Amino acid sequence: MIEISNLHASVDDREILRGIDLRIGAGEVHAVMGPNGSGKSTLANVIAGRPGYTVTAGQVLYRGRDLLELEPEERAREGVFLAFQYPVEIPGVNNLYFLKAAVNAIRKHRGEAELDALDFMERVQARAGLVKMDEAFLKRPVNEGFSGGEKKRNEILQMAVLEPTFAVLDETDSGLDIDALKVVADGVNALRNPERAFLVITHYQRLLDYIVPDVVHVLVDGRIVESGGPELALALEERGYGAFGRHGGASRRAGA
Amino acid sequence: MSTPLSATPLAGSWAGTLAALLGELPQALRFDHHRHDALARFEALGLPGRRDEAWRFTDLSELKARSFVRAAGDRPIDADLLVDLDTPHCLSFVNGHFAAWLSRHGSLPAGVFVGSLREAAEEHPEMLAGALGRVPGLEGHALAALNGALFEDGACIYVPRGVELPGPVHLRFIGVGDDVLAQPRVLVVLEDGARAAVVEDYLGHGRYWHNAVTEIRIGAGAALEHVAVQQEAAAAWHLGALRASQGRDSRLVLRRCAAGARFGRSDIAIDLAGPGAACEIDGLALVGDAQTLASHLLLHHAVPHGSSRQHFKGVLQGRGRHVFDGLIRVAEGALQTDAQQQSRNLLLSKAALATTVPRLEIYNDDVKCSHGATVGYLDEDAVFYLRTRGIGEADARRLLVRAFAGEFIEAVPYADLRERLERRLATYLGEGVA
Repeated sequence: MIEISNLHASVDDREILRGIDLRIGAGEVHAVMGPNGSGKSTLANVIAGRPGYTVTAGQVLYRGRDLLELEPEERAREGVFLAFQYPVEIPGVNNLYFLKAAVNAIRKHRGEAELDALDFMERVQARAGLVKMDEAFLKRPVNEGFSGGEKKRNEILQMAVLEPTFAVLDETDSGLDIDALKVVADGVNALRNPERAFLVITHYQRLLDYIVPDVVHVLVDGRIVESGGPELALALEERGYGAFGRHGGASRRAGA
Repeated sequence: MSTPLSATPLAGSWAGTLAALLGELPQALRFDHHRHDALARFEALGLPGRRDEAWRFTDLSELKARSFVRAAGDRPIDADLLVDLDTPHCLSFVNGHFAAWLSRHGSLPAGVFVGSLREAAEEHPEMLAGALGRVPGLEGHALAALNGALFEDGACIYVPRGVELPGPVHLRFIGVGDDVLAQPRVLVVLEDGARAAVVEDYLGHGRYWHNAVTEIRIGAGAALEHVAVQQEAAAAWHLGALRASQGRDSRLVLRRCAAGARFGRSDIAIDLAGPGAACEIDGLALVGDAQTLASHLLLHHAVPHGSSRQHFKGVLQGRGRHVFDGLIRVAEGALQTDAQQQSRNLLLSKAALATTVPRLEIYNDDVKCSHGATVGYLDEDAVFYLRTRGIGEADARRLLVRAFAGEFIEAVPYADLRERLERRLATYLGEGVA
């Protein structure tokens, strides 16, 4: 589904990603773990197309197409979704209105008719139940005055309503207590299916107790230094990222 | 009804223009003394220039370079200018002259008067004599003085004690033609405990100049909701002054949307003269490229327990300019005044310029006053967030501007006017946001 090869990217002329190789097949859940500043969020933002992130080498193929040549909205319409680490507050834009605009933009792209108000509400209500979100939140401005946990649940709600093919979760677990974490994980697990792929970015192993990945990658200094099964996350929890010291042997070893 | 078109240019003999006008006006609308006084004041002050503190940020030189003639009212009107409001009371004015054929009268409670000033002069000469030109404020405003000297007609709304006027009164001021000066006048008098609502629309076709004055007197416990929509022709000038005095425990709500005219400026003076008077002012300016829109306000808290709230927003495109200048003056002894002021500007272009001048003059301790001002560009993080959900960039930008301006529109209490403002906003955004 997604093939990332030799991806280099910079922000403000500072190289953050230094050659990422990653292949995620349909139905798979991959986790990317790494210390702060290793480039995890940069990877998420490059995939989503955030302005200011410059790809200097490499490519990203999504279902055989060059993802990097698409505008952010085109990527979304093609089924790419990013759950933000810091969801943006948008005063004055009602959550429901925003969701409807998004759903219909994507449907229009697919040549489908706009959802009528009733069908749309049914769909949103069902998904809101999935993330245990009070319907009152739907009528409030997007993320405005939401707690950290509510914002993250709102991200998962959007994902559930938009039904992406490839979803990237950027530190969705950060700032969540254990109950909120379970709600978010349940939401993601409910959406797992053989046609959909996930890239779960996290600093801590904790989230992966609830969203069990097929593959775990360790990102250090802009490179994937080790990949393995779910047990790798547990091992990392034991020994920390220290073993992959910057410019250390581990980094060189896995870069080969 | 029709006034002969005078070829007297603006820069010429004002006294001659006034003399000619006095010869035509009905006796009760002559106010010879007031008009001569006003003309003397205007001549002493002259058209304001940049050296006048209150005009530091707004430039009338383009206006001064032209000459204007008194505008005639018997002009054909294009259908697109006949904006409607769902109410039985509608008075229309073409170039400042009452247009009976574009007006309609609903049934009114006993004692209420809604009509042109000339009609009021026939029916209520004493009321007119006691009220017109009697509301304090804007004494040093040359253009209000010019209107005071030379207004020919306008609207008069009078609601007696304890009476509620059902439905808003819709006032349409339509400017037509090039190089014509129209000076409409509005007088609203609410006696104690009366209630009413007024919507003023300013619009037109051509390179005309509307120099309007609205005067409002609100008695004790009375309430007025006043909406003004300035969507003048793109080549027109709009200068509007509004002064109001409020009695004890009265309530005044002003909603002001400015979108039209090459140059538009409102000067507003509110005198909270009775204890417990409350005034709320909401403003929205949609400023296009090379356009200047300005609001200058004075909220005068004269006595205790008054409250005022000003909430102004501006959206600016291209080389547009927006000026918000708000002065809250709390007089000595006006204890427990609660006055708030907020101005927020959204710049859609690097070349746009917003000027905000919040001013507080407070002459006692026991008050609650606050002001805040923000000027900023669209939140690019929000634009990106919307785009990652499939919403195109131009739509995302429109959505965010719409959210910024929407608060004003949603508070307008008339569905048809809200729709009209939405359309105006859509047109504004369609042209300007890439």
